[in-house]
Amino acid sequence: MSELTKDPRILIYFVAIAAALVILAPLPSDDGLQSRLKYGLDLEGGSWLQLKLLGAIAEIEADPVQIIEKQFEDALGGSVDVERRQDADRFWVTVDGRVPKDLTEDLGYPQAKITPRGNVTRITITDIPIAVIVNYLQSSLDADVKTVRVEERLMYEIRADVTRESLNEILAPVGGRVAPAKEGFIEGVTEETVDETKEVLDRKLNRLGLKDIKVRVVDNSFILIDLAGVDVATAQEIVGKPGVFEIRIQTTGNETVHVLYGSEIVNVELPSGQQGGGWGVPFSLSEEGALIFQEAAMETGATRNREAHYISMHLDEEEIFSAPLAQDLAASLEVAPLRNMVAQVGGEEAASRKAHELYIHLREGALPVNVEIIGSGQVTASLGEQFKKQVFAAGFLAILAVGFVIFFRYREPKIVLPMVGTSFSEVLMMLGVAALLGWQLNLASIAGIIAVIGTGVDHLVIITDEVLYEGRVPSGKVYLARLSSAFGIIMAAALTTIVAMLPLFGMGFGTFKSFALITITGVLIGVFIARPAYGRIIGYIMRSE
Amino acid sequence: MDPELLISKYEPKKMVAIPLVVLALALIILGITYQSTGSPIDLGVEFTGGTIVTVPIIETEDQIAAKLADYPVMQIRDVGNRYMVQMDVMDSDDARSLTSLIESQYKDAEVRYLGPVYSKRLQEQARTYIPMSFLFMAIVVFGLFRKPIVSLLIILSAFSDIVIAAACMNLTGVQLSLGTVAALLMLIGYSVDSNILLNNRVLKRKGKVDEKVAGALRTGIAMTSTTLSAILVLFIVATFSYLVSDTFSRINILFDISIVLIFGLVADVMNTWVMNANALRWYLGRSNKSRRPRR
Repeated sequence: MSELTKDPRILIYFVAIAAALVILAPLPSDDGLQSRLKYGLDLEGGSWLQLKLLGAIAEIEADPVQIIEKQFEDALGGSVDVERRQDADRFWVTVDGRVPKDLTEDLGYPQAKITPRGNVTRITITDIPIAVIVNYLQSSLDADVKTVRVEERLMYEIRADVTRESLNEILAPVGGRVAPAKEGFIEGVTEETVDETKEVLDRKLNRLGLKDIKVRVVDNSFILIDLAGVDVATAQEIVGKPGVFEIRIQTTGNETVHVLYGSEIVNVELPSGQQGGGWGVPFSLSEEGALIFQEAAMETGATRNREAHYISMHLDEEEIFSAPLAQDLAASLEVAPLRNMVAQVGGEEAASRKAHELYIHLREGALPVNVEIIGSGQVTASLGEQFKKQVFAAGFLAILAVGFVIFFRYREPKIVLPMVGTSFSEVLMMLGVAALLGWQLNLASIAGIIAVIGTGVDHLVIITDEVLYEGRVPSGKVYLARLSSAFGIIMAAALTTIVAMLPLFGMGFGTFKSFALITITGVLIGVFIARPAYGRIIGYIMRSE
Repeated sequence: MDPELLISKYEPKKMVAIPLVVLALALIILGITYQSTGSPIDLGVEFTGGTIVTVPIIETEDQIAAKLADYPVMQIRDVGNRYMVQMDVMDSDDARSLTSLIESQYKDAEVRYLGPVYSKRLQEQARTYIPMSFLFMAIVVFGLFRKPIVSLLIILSAFSDIVIAAACMNLTGVQLSLGTVAALLMLIGYSVDSNILLNNRVLKRKGKVDEKVAGALRTGIAMTSTTLSAILVLFIVATFSYLVSDTFSRINILFDISIVLIFGLVADVMNTWVMNANALRWYLGRSNKSRRPRR
């Protein structure tokens, strides 16, 4: 026996098993005994979303003079003369006759100066050429455009779903184009934008008090979200609804009139239970917003006839909230603008959740960039629970079946028991590693474990057959030579399995990462820890009769 | 039957022909599928885009079809206590309304929506990664064995395993999914196990070729049967456990993985022990003859 206990392979093996058992031992926690194993959504229940950030980064060649010319000509319906002052970033637009005073603001040049000169009007725009291009793109695409530097080149990040062709179409009337080189148009958005979006999503989801949220970025243009314990319809509702926030007031019948946009909302507080059991979301308007709101409320008659003029909130033109002014609020508005208000959602059962959703919408208005849901899915908690039972049954039965097959082959408990034991210990160690490193066990990775049980026993068969000669184990050098020849085969087989699995890491946004990881781990544990020990143990057992 | 007899009874050349014919048939099947669908293996929803919904059976097929009449339903299948409904690509608004509908109508629904962006990416990845995986394996095999003929035989056998497994998928209507791709990649790794054993035993040990092949066959059959038994259990649990208890249901991803591994492992038995074993006998017999006179 001392021959065995002194062997470092045996020592390592038993230490590893002990470590795995310690790691896997359930620990007492708030919800009773909890194992450290983590399960994926398909076993735990929950939903996932895959989002694509819509946007592109383009290098644009365009002449600001032509852009300004087109903008003013389109707005005025006549020809204009545009001149660029080379000494400064200044453009002179000369127009026959007079122009409306809000023309420049409408066109996106709020700082421009309008100077009447005889029978013409001179408009001076002080802006750098880049700003003119950004302005043109923003107004043509109705989307945010930012300038970014990509490897020393100035490029424009367009936060909308555009293609090279659609951009060229927009630029053609002003004689511009996307730089024809391949690097001139890159699909996707910058890292900062992705991070910003991720952050907003993180905050959005965290504020809903959801547990275990995982928001991951893949390839800089995809965001993957895992939501435990949430159904996919709710998840889509939470995530897929970024957009323009607007407050409107009912005028007559179903007609409403625009009051203000989300930009006038300066502060939103956490939803709170109100006196009398209702829920509400307190928010504050900017000074200007408060004034606009008061004016609109008085003009429409909402302060006098509250029930006929509901105040509604809209996100992307969809009504998310509608209620009359509170009586005391209406009275106060008659006197002065009010900056602090509460959107009350009522007292029914779902009110607390509704208040939370409204809070998010008020607070975040929109994600920095539009997203498209490109994939989603859900497994309910009870279905996950069922799957869990089934896969554990499969794992257990697989070991039994394997045990049965090797018994049929060797008909010798002295071989069968160590084999099954080794196989079982490999599973323990794999689970231990998964728990230690926080890998999530999902259906795929459990399939991986079962497959490793299968191949693991394969290798034990190779070792056994290699060292056994006519039912006996030779001693000394012959035995060691046989053992090393068996390991030659095993190592080669393990190596091919590992390299063949490598590509799985990159596939399908890492859905099968856990499968590949656990399989490779299992193979490594097998060849470096479990099987060397088995080789020694089987030799010892067979010789000791 | 005694494996030695089985090995030495037939002439190697004739035996090698059988797996080659099967391989050719499998290639033809893949070719026909390619002709009609543009892909050698029938693509599942993950690769074409679309929606898969599984719900508990609480109504007849016609009733569920009527309920989902507004959506592009392609197929409704009874998969044991549950219906699996496959739908074509739809835009994300429709997908959203579908999930709310399903959510309101069924308890324990499983819904997966795969937009075209995702599936297009996945197709590209599969096209790159499956050959890449194969290439990695081939490099390792060459590195280990160095002898071109031996290495090529092993690689051919692995290739044939994959091709036959893929052809079996087409024949049985198993579509290419992430699960089946994972299983195919795993098969690439697996399929060389028994070949490495065979070649090691035959090339590195001393003794008569036929005896060595027979010894390797004994071990090889034990190996494959242990793996097969584990995978078979997985397959049965994934597919038929609903017969034991009606709270259980089919687990598609496990069904996909296990069935492809079963196809591949069975193909591997043939490719290793009928094709490669006999090819090795033939190859060694020839080189022995040319090197030294017969005893």
